Amino acid sequence: MSQTVQAEIPDQLFQQAQTLVHQGWAGSFQEIVNDALRRYLESHQEALTEALIQDDVQWGLHGDD
Amino acid sequence: MGMTKAALVVADAGPLIHLDELAALDVIGDFAAVIVPDAVWREVQQHRPQALSHPAVKLLRQSMLSASAQVNAVAALYTLHQGEREALALCLQQHITLLLTDDTAARLAAKNLNINAHGTLGLLIRAVRKQHRSPAEVLALLAAIPAQSSLHIRPSLLDEVIAQIKAEWITDDE
Repeated sequence: MSQTVQAEIPDQLFQQAQTLVHQGWAGSFQEIVNDALRRYLESHQEALTEALIQDDVQWGLHGDD
Repeated sequence: MGMTKAALVVADAGPLIHLDELAALDVIGDFAAVIVPDAVWREVQQHRPQALSHPAVKLLRQSMLSASAQVNAVAALYTLHQGEREALALCLQQHITLLLTDDTAARLAAKNLNINAHGTLGLLIRAVRKQHRSPAEVLALLAAIPAQSSLHIRPSLLDEVIAQIKAEWITDDE
């Protein structure tokens, strides 16, 4: 299953991605978009973000800076 | 209220933009200086130029002296933007232990490099500890985040945070 989405991408990012494809470093633009999205989701998991916000709250309240 | 000058810090774009959107950029005015990497400066200039000229905050635009192998390694792991890479590299090069950022990946990377990282929420709450703002003012600023800033936080989590610190500050008053 997959979804088709329409999104605006800055020219520079698009050109850089196309260059990688043309040089053979990536199979397709689609592959780059999927990989970028997967990496973003991995590094921005909700539990992690919540833990960091709690860390912020504790620092704000009791930090020793 | 009196302010004692705290340490140097490095800032990513998020807190500068979000605090300015909330008209609260002055809460970082007690840092001796806030170092803003070149790439971050350009990002803020594009999205919120007025945040770069606040009279109460000493911002210093700086370039990276050289690329950092340590930063490049974690940057690849966490897919960091150029501004985040430069910010981490400046922290390491200048032995600065506090990075201001709202980005989860940048915070994880900072942790990996033994750099403390805190964001807009922490800075607003800290303003009460530093006596720059009253608890009521900060509670109002936190409540205004969804409507007045581009900082994204799950509304129910923001409510929980507000309730948590309200309870703490009420207890402190007793």
